[in-house]
Amino acid sequence: MNIQEYILSGIVESNVLGLASDEERREFEQMCRQYPEVLQARVAFELALEKQAMANAVAPAAGLKNKILEEVDAGAKVVSISAAPLRKMNGWKYAAAACIALLAGSIYLNVSLSGKNKKLKGEYDKTAAKLDVLEKDFDVLHSESQSIKMAALKGTDVSPQSYTTVFWDTTSHDVYLMATNLPAPADSMQYQLWALFDGTPIDLGMLDYDLKQKKLLVRMKNAQNAQAFAITLEKKGRTNVNTPEGQMYVLGKL
Amino acid sequence: MELLQQRNGQAFSYLYDNYSGALFSIVNAIVTDRETANDVLQNVFVNIWKKIESYDASKGRLFTWMLNIARNAAIDEIRSKSHQNAQKNQPIGENMELAGAVTGPSVYDVGLKKVLNKLKEEWRVLIDLSYFQGFTHEEIAKILGIPLGTVKTRIRSALMQLRIMIQ
Repeated sequence: MNIQEYILSGIVESNVLGLASDEERREFEQMCRQYPEVLQARVAFELALEKQAMANAVAPAAGLKNKILEEVDAGAKVVSISAAPLRKMNGWKYAAAACIALLAGSIYLNVSLSGKNKKLKGEYDKTAAKLDVLEKDFDVLHSESQSIKMAALKGTDVSPQSYTTVFWDTTSHDVYLMATNLPAPADSMQYQLWALFDGTPIDLGMLDYDLKQKKLLVRMKNAQNAQAFAITLEKKGRTNVNTPEGQMYVLGKL
Repeated sequence: MELLQQRNGQAFSYLYDNYSGALFSIVNAIVTDRETANDVLQNVFVNIWKKIESYDASKGRLFTWMLNIARNAAIDEIRSKSHQNAQKNQPIGENMELAGAVTGPSVYDVGLKKVLNKLKEEWRVLIDLSYFQGFTHEEIAKILGIPLGTVKTRIRSALMQLRIMIQ
């Protein structure tokens, strides 16, 4: 047999990695004893494999070492008990120590699990609340009732890229605003929604811009009558809120 | 080495500090569930401790010996009844592991598996099935529907390629 061919046949790797059959393994061990080149190839691959594995080491759980040391220690002591009965007390001490360690471990685990549990519960509650809000919005949008009308409010010359949708329930008179694209107002300003009926603007409330960022639909004041809707940008804290004074940003008919 | 074979606690501690990470990465690549991998690694070290007298330095390096204990323990775990049961709780067919091995890319892109992913597909599958899942050549021939002889030659070629890659 050509030794170089044997070495390059993959037999070295399959033996080191434990993939060889019993027969192949016996043959390989024989070859290692007989030919230094084979042994050298084996050691070289073993070292390369070891280096690779060491470079990609992943740390196991922090407490594992102590757990193992306790387990092997306990095992060793059991042997020594049967060999030397006089040292029995030692065994008890170790057993007691092991119990205490286990207890401490269990308490720690309980505390840390309970903390985790609390955190998860908090996160769950938050998510459930968010979902609740979204579900309500969804109900409005997907209402079976024919009474919900929609108005698409398009941007005026002041803000051509703005776009807003108003949903109006003609039976319950509820008004919902979906402010898709309105520029953030200055601190001293706020948006106000209006219903327009026979040329008269009716105040439907101020839009909380921060709330609009968080919610899909913002509930506004009810509207008894409406032919169109509009949003203007007004100064905060002005006295006559029933008359629009600022610039109109969006407008749309029903 | 002598200290280890005399079951010297300090020597064992040294062994753990040096090699637990490398062995854990192999166990993790096979078992994938990290918690289970920790349990397996615990058994691995307990076994190393128990069997240290049977280690024969003339047959290979200590690390190679430990690596094989780790690999075997991990494969025993994924083949065990409890592990199979846990797998069944997932709403996927019984042959999930086989199917995953043959078609899906490896989830754990670490260590040897990272190297493995660079191999061409037909070799990668073979190494994955034989090394990481512990199937015999006969089983692999059946799974892939290719002749036993082809499985053997391809695994050998794949291993040669693997050596070139890690050296």
